[in-house]
Amino acid sequence: MTSHFLILSVFALLVSIGFALLMREKPRDQVRFALFSFACFVGSAFLIGWLMYPFPS
Amino acid sequence: MPAKDVSSEFSFAAIPACLSGWLVPGLGHFMIGKRNRGIISFAVVVALFTLGIQLEGELFELDTGELLTLLAGLAEMGVGLPYFIIKMMKLGGGTVTSVTYEYGYTFCIVAGLLNMLIVLDVYDILVGRKD
Repeated sequence: MTSHFLILSVFALLVSIGFALLMREKPRDQVRFALFSFACFVGSAFLIGWLMYPFPS
Repeated sequence: MPAKDVSSEFSFAAIPACLSGWLVPGLGHFMIGKRNRGIISFAVVVALFTLGIQLEGELFELDTGELLTLLAGLAEMGVGLPYFIIKMMKLGGGTVTSVTYEYGYTFCIVAGLLNMLIVLDVYDILVGRKD
């Protein structure tokens, strides 16, 4: 598994589930929170990626 | 200050569940009747930790002189028994030259920290701060 995006997605998914489990009580709220958290993780990775794009590697 | 007394009394009662929850991720929740939460906690923490090892992450030593390495080692130790099992099996040495080395140890560190949060959740439930 050397795809950066795949590793990022798996990490985001697992941590989102963990956070949802701890921060919400009802299963429905947990699913919602996990999806929101996952979207935030992946979205912020894309955003930071775009912000770093102009800089030389 | 009667509320404080009750809280400290309950905190002693919470120690076995918290210790179990640290040693085996999710066992604390399982012991207090939150079985689904316990099973999912176990799956998440063990998956993160196993993937971290698979990604050639390192389990840091605690006896180094560097503060950040010590903190990383302590965080990884938060996983509990899986950490010691991997150590005993002489795995988790990490491959610094691997592309996924940093990802690997990040997974392991986050697994340990997440398990610490899960243990604190067990404590909060037992002292009545949470349902």
